[in-house]
Amino acid sequence: MRMKKTLRLATILSAGLMISQPLYAAESSERFVFVGYGDVKYESADVAGTDAFSARFVPIFLFSLNDKMHVEAELEVGLNADGETETELEYADIHYFLNDNTTITAGKFLLPFGQFSANWHPSWINRSIWTPGIYGAHGSSQAMDPMLPILSDVGVAAQQVYQVGSAKVFLDVFMTNGPRSEAEHDEEEVDDDHDIALARLFSPAASIDLDADEDEHGEAFPEVEFEATSSDNNSNKAFGGRIAVALLPSIEIGTSYYQGAYDENGQLDIKANGVDINLISTHAILRGEYIRTETDAFVERDHEDVIDSFSRNGWFLQGTFFIGHVFDGLGSTEIVIEHAQTKKVEEAERWMVGVNYWLDPRSVIKVGYEDTDVVDGPDDKRFAVQFSYGF
Amino acid sequence: MMKNQLTVTIFVLFATLLTSLHVSSTEPLSGAELINNNCARCHNSRPIQEFSMSEWKVIMPHMREKAHLTGAEVQAILEFMEIATTPAQAMNVKEVVNLAADPKEVLTRYGCQGCHQVQGAGGTLGPSLDNVISEKGRAFFLRKVKEPQFNNSSSAMPQMPITDDELEALAEFLSSK
Repeated sequence: MRMKKTLRLATILSAGLMISQPLYAAESSERFVFVGYGDVKYESADVAGTDAFSARFVPIFLFSLNDKMHVEAELEVGLNADGETETELEYADIHYFLNDNTTITAGKFLLPFGQFSANWHPSWINRSIWTPGIYGAHGSSQAMDPMLPILSDVGVAAQQVYQVGSAKVFLDVFMTNGPRSEAEHDEEEVDDDHDIALARLFSPAASIDLDADEDEHGEAFPEVEFEATSSDNNSNKAFGGRIAVALLPSIEIGTSYYQGAYDENGQLDIKANGVDINLISTHAILRGEYIRTETDAFVERDHEDVIDSFSRNGWFLQGTFFIGHVFDGLGSTEIVIEHAQTKKVEEAERWMVGVNYWLDPRSVIKVGYEDTDVVDGPDDKRFAVQFSYGF
Repeated sequence: MMKNQLTVTIFVLFATLLTSLHVSSTEPLSGAELINNNCARCHNSRPIQEFSMSEWKVIMPHMREKAHLTGAEVQAILEFMEIATTPAQAMNVKEVVNLAADPKEVLTRYGCQGCHQVQGAGGTLGPSLDNVISEKGRAFFLRKVKEPQFNNSSSAMPQMPITDDELEALAEFLSSK
């Protein structure tokens, strides 16, 4: 009954906000634009034992319904190792520009948690060939156990922009279907970590065996799955948001929060906190994120199952140096150095160094080498050349 | 269940509070400056000529949400793009002659200081213009304005519809720096 009242209240408030704005504004002369990005990569990786070319094509469809409403959808199309074409709906949502400062979004969207998920992960934008180690490999594999995937889910979000003196403040909140226990979907074979959060929960007292599916008591380690669906395994919605301060064009610092129940009874939560930073100058860009996750699980204490919480944390820092700005002869060449670490459970660290050459402002050839040191697992070395383009 | 109700209620109240607030900048908005300040936060600025104006009008609402731009900022950017993509011959001849007589007006018209500093004022996406002619020569400057990508393939500088008279006036002005 209370749930019904809450939903009724939400509906009335939303309707009130909507009718306070004119539904139809002046029509634009153009309604549809087709943009996107893609990449071709040669990669040689030790642990995966791969030495192959791969390709992706990521079209983005933009529709401007009118000055108030905008529809966007992104597909990611690629070939897997078996030659099958894989297609994924990265996002498909509608923006409603409520007023000059406020945007309401509904549909499947990239969650505003940190900056990498929402803004930096497209290959023509990411200065590195690979995703940072704290995030899932987004379509491939990696030795470092990530903390979160590229977060995308179905729900609603609100965005507000404030001008405070010379600074801008960005505020985003969202509510989505949320995660679920991977055990509920064990009939589905998972080949890689694409959209699967490897938030494995290990009892601190237990010996850690990265390859084990069971702990010393024979209990399966719970895993949390973040892959967006049009269903929810419990009645609890995930929620969170990000607040950031930007002194443009040089600095943006943000902090993010995510919380969602993942079991069927809605008793076990996964929470994530993040801090992100983006420093831009004429000669370099410095980007980084710190993430801390806490995941609830039932543990046996004195012959009783109680809920305990296990945490992981990790970070990455990526520096891009425009050496062509210092040495004229190098044109649009840049050097990229990245370091990432995950701690507590499945500790690992990674160094990456790369050289990028921009053919034009949206086409880049990247050459990179990555060395991952996993504390309790096989180390990995990868070399890759990637041609990325935005269109 | 109780927790779920609380979550929904907090979200709705928070969203309502957000939408009731409306804070705007009182500063006049420069489209070139907004491009300088926002595009390079994530990616290289795309050349304005890459898309038509009607395409930019569909792309910019997408970027409005991505880059946390306000509606007024999007409008200012589109207005600057209109200037940058308007062929010189379509401009009012009298206006061009008058502008050419005053290089500071040329700087303003084409939003040069959105990305470049002149006498300490302006953006930082591109290099300062104060010493560009003394350091790189007049010929470099003239060619750079006409062919912005000739020396740097990833340069975001748009090819402005600047007239020869305007360009000469600007070069003369910057030579005296």
